[in-house]
Amino acid sequence: MKNEKDIAKSIRREALKKNWRLFRRSKLGMIGIYIVIFFFLLSILQPILFVTGVWNKGVYDPVVGYSEQFQEFLVVECPTEYPTEKYKNRSDCPGRTEVNVRTLYYSDAEVGDYIIQNLQPAPPSREHILGTDSLGRDVFSQIMEGSQVAFILGLLSATLGVGISTLLGTIAAFFGGKVDAYLMRQSDLILMLPTLPLLFIISAFAELQVWHLAVVLGTIGGLGGSVITIKSQALQVKVKPFVDSARITGGSRMNILFSHVLPNVAPLALLFMVFSVTGAIASESVLSFLGLLNIDMSWGLMIYLAQVEGFIFSGMKFWWLILPAGLSVTFLTGGFYLVGRGLDEVFNPRLRDR
Amino acid sequence: MNILEVKDLDMSYKTIDGEVEAVKKVTFSVKEGESFGIVGESGCGKTSVAMSLLQLQADNGKITNGEIIFDGKNIVGLSESELREVRWSGISIVFQGAMNSWNPVVKIGEQIREAMREHYPDKTKEENTKKIIELFDIVGLDSSIIDRFPHELSGGMKQRAVIALALSCDPKLIIADEPTTALDVVIQDQILKEIRKVQDVLGLSLIYISHDIAVIAEMTDNMAVMYAGSIVEMGKTEKVFSNPKHAYTRMLLESTPSIVGPKKKLRSLDGEPPSLINTDSYCLFSYRCPSPDDNCRNRNIAMELTKIDSEHYADKCCINCG
Amino acid sequence: MYKYVFRRVYQLIIVFFLFLVSSYVLFDAIPGNAFQNLLLNPDLPPEAYEQVIKLYGLDKPLSERVILYIGNFFQGDFGYSYKHFPRTPIELIAERLPRTLMLFAMVNIIAFYTGFLIGKILAWRRGSKSETWITVTSVFSYTIFYPWWALMMLWFFGYKLNWLPIGKFLYPEKWYDAPYDSDVIFVSMIKFTLVVSVVQILVYIYTRNIESLSMRRNVRFTSLVTIAILSLLYWNQGDLAVQKPYAMDIAYHMILPIFTVTVVAFAGTALLTRTTMMEVMKDDFILTARAKGLSQKRIRDRHAARNALLPVVTSFIFTIVTIIDGSVLTETIFSWPGMGQLILDAVLEEDIPVAMASFSFIGVFALIAHFIADISYAYLDPRIRIQSQG
Repeated sequence: MKNEKDIAKSIRREALKKNWRLFRRSKLGMIGIYIVIFFFLLSILQPILFVTGVWNKGVYDPVVGYSEQFQEFLVVECPTEYPTEKYKNRSDCPGRTEVNVRTLYYSDAEVGDYIIQNLQPAPPSREHILGTDSLGRDVFSQIMEGSQVAFILGLLSATLGVGISTLLGTIAAFFGGKVDAYLMRQSDLILMLPTLPLLFIISAFAELQVWHLAVVLGTIGGLGGSVITIKSQALQVKVKPFVDSARITGGSRMNILFSHVLPNVAPLALLFMVFSVTGAIASESVLSFLGLLNIDMSWGLMIYLAQVEGFIFSGMKFWWLILPAGLSVTFLTGGFYLVGRGLDEVFNPRLRDR
Repeated sequence: MNILEVKDLDMSYKTIDGEVEAVKKVTFSVKEGESFGIVGESGCGKTSVAMSLLQLQADNGKITNGEIIFDGKNIVGLSESELREVRWSGISIVFQGAMNSWNPVVKIGEQIREAMREHYPDKTKEENTKKIIELFDIVGLDSSIIDRFPHELSGGMKQRAVIALALSCDPKLIIADEPTTALDVVIQDQILKEIRKVQDVLGLSLIYISHDIAVIAEMTDNMAVMYAGSIVEMGKTEKVFSNPKHAYTRMLLESTPSIVGPKKKLRSLDGEPPSLINTDSYCLFSYRCPSPDDNCRNRNIAMELTKIDSEHYADKCCINCG
Repeated sequence: MYKYVFRRVYQLIIVFFLFLVSSYVLFDAIPGNAFQNLLLNPDLPPEAYEQVIKLYGLDKPLSERVILYIGNFFQGDFGYSYKHFPRTPIELIAERLPRTLMLFAMVNIIAFYTGFLIGKILAWRRGSKSETWITVTSVFSYTIFYPWWALMMLWFFGYKLNWLPIGKFLYPEKWYDAPYDSDVIFVSMIKFTLVVSVVQILVYIYTRNIESLSMRRNVRFTSLVTIAILSLLYWNQGDLAVQKPYAMDIAYHMILPIFTVTVVAFAGTALLTRTTMMEVMKDDFILTARAKGLSQKRIRDRHAARNALLPVVTSFIFTIVTIIDGSVLTETIFSWPGMGQLILDAVLEEDIPVAMASFSFIGVFALIAHFIADISYAYLDPRIRIQSQG
């Protein structure tokens, strides 16, 4: 005679297995999950490399590491008018292995001499797969650090946000009346505020670190429009017959809330969570890009530095400062979005392929 | 003159769990002006047969064998554009659950005119509208319905409108797939009378699909009984009813109460329809047969209809069983 | 019915009131104020700073200031900008708003149209090889890191290829002896675009009654051509002929920002359309349409897409609501002086009157847009129409 709990557990396990099978059939979902796993591996790779000593912390630390790279440069004088024999346009002079004599303030080198200079930012080499930035820090290590930041921030704020909106949405649906009206108006209020300027304001009176930003993003997201959507979903569940029967058989309101309504709202909440992660990562990157955050290293910060130091308009010459960070943000957020689409197919049979 | 001849039709669906053989070696024919019934329980394949006739089966379904000869031409294997010509102006269909057959954001009249425009591109809007009014008259609808949206009509009205829609392009054969299942008995009776009237007036052939054996008895000249994808008994309706040979047919008839005659205890059929995956190895009915042979479950039974008399055929196995 | 409306309006007023109060408190909470730079100037005695503060009433306690501000607000007095004295916030908004609207209205219309088209086709071709990778590409367009993308575009088209201008919305050199202000030109451009769009929509609505499909297409095409020709004539007569080169200059500067934002914006609509269409395609009436012998294209466009339109239009309306919020980044990167930049500067410089006025504007805008969304939803879905009447 099997215990009730055991039966319930095995039913749940079967359901999970079935859902996983459905998820696997979704092409989009699988692509998304591979991408997410890739970046996750990147984020745990870095501490492993440090701990196992493969990487010397002094050199490879994304924030304070320094890698000495020297190279021989030929001193040239850049002409004032282009095109000339040697150079086609302004950005060709000085070339990669050349240096303009006018930028050498502290040396008596003449045109035609060879001097040895510090090469930062350094292009990709065997020691540094993605090269180094202008402060000699390894770019690949920075990407991995940024991946950690993205995951922590994304998951934290998404969980917080979804937790809040699910709770509030179900409460609004269930208790109705004044509580509902108050919560809806609160959501309206949050919806009325423009997000970006709001984030600027908040970052103006507190230097935000990762945790703070996560909490802020989570709270704003959680109190906003998602409450309305969860509430309408909860309402649909509320009118289903099994809720009535639960009440008749004597279930308390709280009991009904937790064991009946919440599980049915869960798929929608899960979907929201995945999409919130993309929003959180994007917001952080944008704020870092504008220089408003106090985070040691993140992908947005990498682009910020590249822009501030004027490397953006050098085009492809310093590609490793610009492309990896931008592509990482794009792909990781895209990956989470694809996972969300895959989950959509699991929960909504009409979206499946067959 | 046979308007429709179906020969050895096989149709199966590809699913995660395997290939489901929904229609197996189905063979029957329908004469002009005749009304032919297909009866069987849910999942026996009758709707799949209907879908195959118009090649409207779902994306994972495929006709793997057989011929469907409509008006002298085999329509299996025709290209999509050729099929589109046959659809509606040759064969039309009244679906199960006609409530949902209508696009909710387009007016009823426009949806009917759309079909007419497709098959009669040269007619004007006035001509089409006039015809619709005539059709509505036949099915008992007011002409004001033309400018209404589907949600403004009741279930019965929607069903009648669907019949009008099915008639709009002068088809030679109409398939009615459980058209009255979702309606109450009074409306059902009205609709059935309308269909009969339409048939007589316009001389159409009708294939009537239902699980309700009483309706089949009332509406059809010839009929077929389907079980697990195959036809197990077929023939003139009177003969099948008065002398059912197949065990399944007999059980069906015996499970319907009659309001005349002495009170009888009803026999019902235990069990469920069998899985239609990998069905070659045994008689599909054997698990529910009241008196199966030892051989029934192990023999490779090919469904084959033997003649009982000129208008009555039944599967050679299971005759006189149970 | 009336009781409900009355209750909603009353709640709305309370919300708006709270919105004003919390915004003001928020702005004030930012450390420092708009005039701090005066303290840094060695030539000014500290009393000058004190005087300025007193002049603007910033020495009064917060609660008093909030009450004063709200009182003035509801009398229509929005104060003067701190940084751009003596211009009022209304003036500034009136100047900046057309620029933002012009840009983002164009973006949203193009993005919505192409997005819907592509989403429609994607859903219809579900499961084919091309569908998967086009969808994935759309997803990455949608999640692309916007500042990075904008900078790349700026560099590529502006710097490397030198095809399009970098930043700002006109070449100042060309405007030295312009007889018109840029705002006037903007307004006439907006008027023109509005008229053309309205005419197009009317043509569309009236041609729905034409029976034959080919004739319908011909009429619509002819109308498009006619509008194009009329537009050319319109811009070549009288006053407008003088405005034309300046309008062209502005239009030229709009190309790059519009392109950059559209690439990201269309993807959102495409993905939403795709999902909605996929759901609609499983409905029974699609099967009926196939049975009727209609062509694939017909079924896709008139039956499936038409039903998928509702949520997409709603999302379009909500995008309009967040236009100003979304424009902040674009305007910063492209130096396009519109509402987004105005708000950003006001917030960072603590120009409270301007910031408050802008925020209020956005709030009211959002409320109106919600209202329009409800109406258009009723128009598109006849089921709701009946319900709201009855």
